[in-house]
Amino acid sequence: MILVLLVSTFLFSQPYKGSTIKVLVWDDALTVAVESMIKQFENETGIKVVFERIPSGSILEKLALSVSGSKADYDLVSVDEPFVPQVGNLFMPYSAWPEGKIYSKIDLERDLIPGVAEGSFWNGEYRGLPINGNVYVWLTRKDIVNNEQYKKEFMQKYGYELDIPQTFDQLLDISEYLSTKGIYGFAPFTKNAEGATCEAIFMFESYGTNVLVQVGEHDFEVVLDKEKAVEALKMYKELCKFAPPGWEDMGHSERIAAFNQGKVFSMFQWPAIVPDHENKDQSVVAGKIYYGAPPAGPAKRAAIRGTWMLGIPNASKNKEAAAEFAYWWSSYEAGKELVKVGMTPARTDLLLDPKYVEQKPYFVGIFNSMRYSVSRPRIEKYAEVSDVIKVNWLAGVTGRVTPEVAIDNIIKGVNEVLEKYGY
Amino acid sequence: MVTKKEKRIGEKSPVLYFILPAIILVAVILIFPLLFALGISFFNWDLIDESARGFIGFSNFVNIFKDKSFWNALFLQLGFIFIAIPIETVIGFFVAMLLNREFKGVKVIRSLLLLPVFVLPVLSGLTWRLMLQPEYGAISFLLTKIGVSQTTWLAKPTTAYAAVIIQDIWRMWPFMFMFLYSGLINIPPSLIEAADLDGAGFWDKVFKIILPLLKPTFTTAILLRLIDALRIFSEVFVMTEGGPGNATTLLSLYIYKQAFRYFNIGYASAMGIILTIISLTIAIFLVRKNMMMESA
Repeated sequence: MILVLLVSTFLFSQPYKGSTIKVLVWDDALTVAVESMIKQFENETGIKVVFERIPSGSILEKLALSVSGSKADYDLVSVDEPFVPQVGNLFMPYSAWPEGKIYSKIDLERDLIPGVAEGSFWNGEYRGLPINGNVYVWLTRKDIVNNEQYKKEFMQKYGYELDIPQTFDQLLDISEYLSTKGIYGFAPFTKNAEGATCEAIFMFESYGTNVLVQVGEHDFEVVLDKEKAVEALKMYKELCKFAPPGWEDMGHSERIAAFNQGKVFSMFQWPAIVPDHENKDQSVVAGKIYYGAPPAGPAKRAAIRGTWMLGIPNASKNKEAAAEFAYWWSSYEAGKELVKVGMTPARTDLLLDPKYVEQKPYFVGIFNSMRYSVSRPRIEKYAEVSDVIKVNWLAGVTGRVTPEVAIDNIIKGVNEVLEKYGY
Repeated sequence: MVTKKEKRIGEKSPVLYFILPAIILVAVILIFPLLFALGISFFNWDLIDESARGFIGFSNFVNIFKDKSFWNALFLQLGFIFIAIPIETVIGFFVAMLLNREFKGVKVIRSLLLLPVFVLPVLSGLTWRLMLQPEYGAISFLLTKIGVSQTTWLAKPTTAYAAVIIQDIWRMWPFMFMFLYSGLINIPPSLIEAADLDGAGFWDKVFKIILPLLKPTFTTAILLRLIDALRIFSEVFVMTEGGPGNATTLLSLYIYKQAFRYFNIGYASAMGIILTIISLTIAIFLVRKNMMMESA
């Protein structure tokens, strides 16, 4: 009798018993951790989860081939923020997501870090549930700014205290000073990849300009202020003078290596990579890093945001189960475990929980950075716009063309993309 | 008694049955995708936005001919082919000549030389990227030892393009060696011995005996390399991602970008058709030449 009661309790507590959902996500430590906890979710809900992890750069291709307006091979798909405009219409608006039967529906405004939800906003709707607090966080070496000898010398030369740089001008001064100590002030991102576009937008925004603005419902206009953009590019070039050898072609792996070897004073990083810097087996600067918002330009501080959202395709046949899985992933309960294995939560209560902040000092930095978060151009044809920005920005930064020509080419190139697609 | 007609059927049918699976396979994995690509090359075919799809006739082809990036990519691709393949062929030929003799350890050497061909292209690209890294890359280290200043090879258009070609030569010359060596060992030794008796020098033997006899082998090897080189992608992608600027955006990378980054499948298909036509033209030329040589 007791056994029957136990079995029936177990069965009735699984409101989705028999459902199977297919989930497509990017592949990193976080999603590996999520996968390791899926059994628990399956036992609670009765939903069988087919969890597919693929390299983040291939998600969009896979999505394009497997989800359309009329068919969906997946019930839940992760989408990187800049591509939300391109694919957003394939997904059910978050406002239409069903309530969870076990886990509560996430309130985007109340539960998540301010700013994070904007990453999933397109065409008047949130197109999914943001799942991580992904934003530029600025890394600065505490041990360097606290070095008494350096402080004294710096004060004598520059007339102000050596500290965490609050502006690009300060970062430039510190970089110049540290070059006499064999330390590189700054590690740029100059590989021919999306990161270069991020750097361009980060600098443009800090100098008070941006590339595109939406005009009306379906039109866009190039609004890049040449003077400000040239100044931004020139400052970046100046900072690169104090970058490690090979700075003209630095991607994530080169930057991580240089910083972890203790050669670099300051640079941005995406939260998912930060744990590598704090891993004592991989980094000689573990425990010596201050995490904060990026230095300010003449206009403001700006931190590039790149949150991933979970979207339910309109054509999915398992919307309720898919939503339940997304709520579970975003819940405080699951988050507690996921944080331990490297998740950067999008939830405020997790990010600012004192016990996690103590273990993961960069959480506060992420929270602070998110206050200054900016997005990359929001347009359906983002990939082409991004390529134009990236190619010309890098040409300007590495000196293949003058900053003026580089900015002119960005303006011309983006206008050509708009014209080509009839904007 | 079997009539002539029945005999003909009886003779032909088994052959047809044997080759039918191969025909079906080729039709499914080659002919159909090719025809499909040809079909959608006449459409505006956005991979995501189904509502934007529609027949546009030859517009994709017209736009391609007006697209400067296409011409740049085609120029880079052809440059890559016409620089890399001849160098690989020359190296492969002379190493094959060198190792076409018996001495202790030659079999091991021959086998070891083939190793680069078996390295995954993506791994080769990554390794070369690391080796060219100016601060801790092995090649950069060696170059600085002989007085070459520290340079970010992959950040400059010319050196990045050269690096992509050198990487390909390193990986693929053993392929040419393998082919040409197999051709060399089939040359009757009596011909070489006769030339020796006639007092022919090394270069006489190379130009008057070996090269003419190896022509069909050269043609086949070059044809196979050409097909491979026209679809080079992953090693370039991981080395440079087509940069700096578009300096190493070969046509194969440009087609990929149009198809899977911009989702302009119709446009990418049209470029793919053009690339196929170029490949076929060169292949037909080489095959016909080979056949003419054989018949002569």
